[in-house]
Parts: sequence; structure tokens; C-alpha cells
Amino acid sequence: WVTPSLSHSGATGTLAQWVLLELQGEVEPRQNGELAGSLLGDLHYTCEGVPVLIVGHHILYGKVVQLEKPFAVLVKQGGDPQPSPTEPHGHYTVTALIKTKLLFKTRPKPIITNVPKKV
Amino acid sequence: AAMRSRAEVDATLQTAKLNPAELLPVVHCLSFGPQAGGGECCLLQLEPGLCAELEAGHSLVIRGEKDEHAVLCSKDKTYDMKIADTSNMLLFVPGCKTPEELNADPASCNIIHSQIAGFSNNYWELRRCRPKLKKLRKLLMEDPYDGPDSQKDQTSTFSKYTTEDLLSLIQASEEEILHQLQVIDACKIEGYWRILDFDYEMKLLNHVTQLIDSESWPLSKVPLCACLEELGSLEPREMIEHILVSYGRKYVDAGEIFFEMREDKICRAIAQMLLQNAVKFNLSEFEEVWQQSVPEGMTTRLDQLQGLALVDKSSRPETIFLLKVEDLPEDNQERFNSLFGIREKWTEVDITPYIQDLCAEKQTVGALLTKYARSSMLNGVKVYNSRRPIS
Repeated sequence: WVTPSLSHSGATGTLAQWVLLELQGEVEPRQNGELAGSLLGDLHYTCEGVPVLIVGHHILYGKVVQLEKPFAVLVKQGGDPQPSPTEPHGHYTVTALIKTKLLFKTRPKPIITNVPKKV
Repeated sequence: AAMRSRAEVDATLQTAKLNPAELLPVVHCLSFGPQAGGGECCLLQLEPGLCAELEAGHSLVIRGEKDEHAVLCSKDKTYDMKIADTSNMLLFVPGCKTPEELNADPASCNIIHSQIAGFSNNYWELRRCRPKLKKLRKLLMEDPYDGPDSQKDQTSTFSKYTTEDLLSLIQASEEEILHQLQVIDACKIEGYWRILDFDYEMKLLNHVTQLIDSESWPLSKVPLCACLEELGSLEPREMIEHILVSYGRKYVDAGEIFFEMREDKICRAIAQMLLQNAVKFNLSEFEEVWQQSVPEGMTTRLDQLQGLALVDKSSRPETIFLLKVEDLPEDNQERFNSLFGIREKWTEVDITPYIQDLCAEKQTVGALLTKYARSSMLNGVKVYNSRRPIS
């Protein structure tokens, strides 16, 4: 079962709307630490609405895309084995809908922090 | 980790040589939430209509036993599920605002701490598919109902299925299942869905057609009440009504219920009754016996037997034999293999009734033939044969 979980959403009783961030590459925790709690970066928007993501020493420029086919975010119920692609059986709750994504496909611009000062 | 402050954000902007004047005042500081790495969330790409259904509070169901490919069902449609990989990383972020939302609602704060709920490099894709309904008939055929006097039911060890049972076992939406139950003339007896044993069904039909004949009722106006009265002593009233509903069209006239008997369906059933007794029949002999066996006033035609029987025009004399489409495999390739195993070359007219049900939404028989068969000419007629050698 895939049930919209109205109890997870806001007071209005509608499903929560999340946003998708699409990045190139992989997510790896810094310094072998736990991923949970660690920072990814700062997300800004230009006045024209262009998303700008500062991750570590990189600046990424992206664009806001309205998804033609929205996504549902499913969370498996019942503490059973995790929902894997090969075993999609079981009871799921729809936690949120995603209708928008921020797509970052441009090559990251490195931030140069050590600029030799003119003496 | 401590939450970033606005001062730290501004310092980063300065280092990055970005001009704050060119940016909206609100920043989202993104970090990974406590469950982010757990892999408990996954993404399902929604086909048109499904998003609206979820927002309206309806549920979607994933169905399939361990040995079946899982399908997703809305209340009236069925979809195949397939994993799609992306080369990119997808992060799902609650409480993240778009520029539009920020502009529409000037915030009192200039920093939002957003926790990434999870991430993935794949998602489930959906593709509308035919509901997998062959299993429905198979389950109900485990124990066909053959009347109240049957010794079977008391000692029966076979499973009987309620609507809920069927919903959990059949890979189709509820509407598709209920519609198919109607199509196969299933009926509910003591809360369980049952298919009638064919001989019992013909017995019931015969009671009705004989009564119609002896009362000289027009085939288009058979009264329900009179049938129940006259036949109620022979068979359960529910069964009499069921056979009328299966083989007639119900209507009301001056407050009374009547049935317009369906000539094609009755002729077809009688043909099945005749044909199931032998491997094949001499065609002209069969046609004669068949016409004599149907109720007075009905006319038999070979096109009533589409998907039920096949005529062999190449044999001398011409013959006819039973071939029921519902006995053939459900999978496209297996169906075509089976058909080409029965007959090497088929005309489009002959094969259409046996592949019509395979057509997906907006797919034509022609498209199926192009994909699964190869065409050639035989005596000036276009015929189709297998693309591969049949073993």
C-alpha cells in the first residue's frame, strides 16, 4: 500500500511539498564522519531567480525546473527491510510531493581563497 | 554541528566574491538531516493523474507476490514499476522555498535552516500496463459453482475468494477487477465470488430458453417475475436471475423488469457446448447441428465464435475446433508463440480475435503484428507467421 499520510503534513491537511536538488557527482561525508548533521552548503537565489549553491570551495549555478512528472516521496512503514528497487512490496506512506527541482548541471566554479597579496 | 549564522553566510559570500545586492535576501543553509543516510525514503515518478489522486487523499497500492513483478495500482489503473538510474544525485529537501515563493512572501528572517531528508540516484518509473487479470479466472476456476445440490461445497478444500482476497492477489486496480468479474459473469454466493461450472450454466440457460419457448415470449421481452415463479422450484432464484443477467439485457417497462435476450451470446454458448465434446468437427455438419440447437428465432453466424473457435479452411472437408482466447498465455510473446504453434500462418482476420486483448492503450492489432510477427503473401493473401523458428 502507498497511502498519502495526512498526519505528516501541515495543518491544512494537504501533502507537504518538498524540493528536489539535482547535483552531479556523489554525496560523501567529509572526514569519514556521519552524514547526518553535516553541512552541505548555502543556497542563494539571484534577483532573477537563478539558484546559486556554494558547496565547500565551489560555486554552482543552476536553474529552477517545474517537473513535468512530479515525484512522490515514499517512506516504508514497519521497520522492515528497506525499500529496495528489487523488493517494492509492503506498506508505504507518501510523505511529500515534489513538483520543483533545482538542477545544478554547470561545472562548479572553484572559489580561490588564497590570493597572494601584493607586497 | 552548530547552525550557521548570517554572519558566516555573509563571510562566505564575500570569499566567493558574490555581490549580496544581486541576491535575494534569504539564504537556505542546507545540512543533512538525522535520517538522511538511512535510505528509508525513495522516489516514485508520478504519471499524469496520480499526483491529483494523492492530493485528493486517495491511496495507491503496490501489488505482487514474490514471484511477480510489482505493479502499482490507482483505483482504476495499473502500472508496471521499473527502476530508473540517474547519473546525478537527487536530494530531497523539505521546507525549501523557490524564488517565486520567497518573492511572494517577504520573509521576516533572512536565513532558513533546511535539513535534507534523503538522497538517491534512482527512482521508480511507472508505465501504464494492461491489468494482469488472467489469474482472476484461474483462481475462480479452482472451484466452479455447480449448484446447491453439489456435494462438493460441503467437503470442498479449495479456497473461496472474497473481494478483499481478490484485491490482495490480483495485480490490477479495484475497478479493473470488478469490471472483469462482470465480464466473466462471476457472481457472489455467500460473500464469495464464484464462476459457474459450464455444464451447470448451460442447464440454467436451457431452463430459461425452454420456458421462453413454451410461453411463446418474444426473445426481447422475457419477464423476470414469471421466470422466478416458474423455475424457482427447479433452481435457486438467485441463479435464475443471474443467468438472465448474464445472457440478457435488463430493462424496466411499466414498472416490471424484463430481459432482452442476447442472441449472439446464447448462440456462442451453445456452440461451445457442442464443440467441447470432440477435438474438431466437420464444419458444415457442425453448422447444421448448431442452428438446430439454438432457440427458435435465433440465427447462428460464424462471427459469433470469434475468440472461441477456429475454422480450418485448408482441410478437406473444412473443419472447426474449439480455441478459447482465455486459455492462451497472457504475456505477448508467449501468446504469439502459442498461436504460431497451433497454426503456422494466420490471416489478420483469423488472428485478430486472439490478440485483440493484448493491445495496450492506443495500440492497434497492426502494431502488435508488426512487432511480433513477420508477414508474407500466400495465394494472394497476406499472412503472418512467427519471427523465429518454433521449436
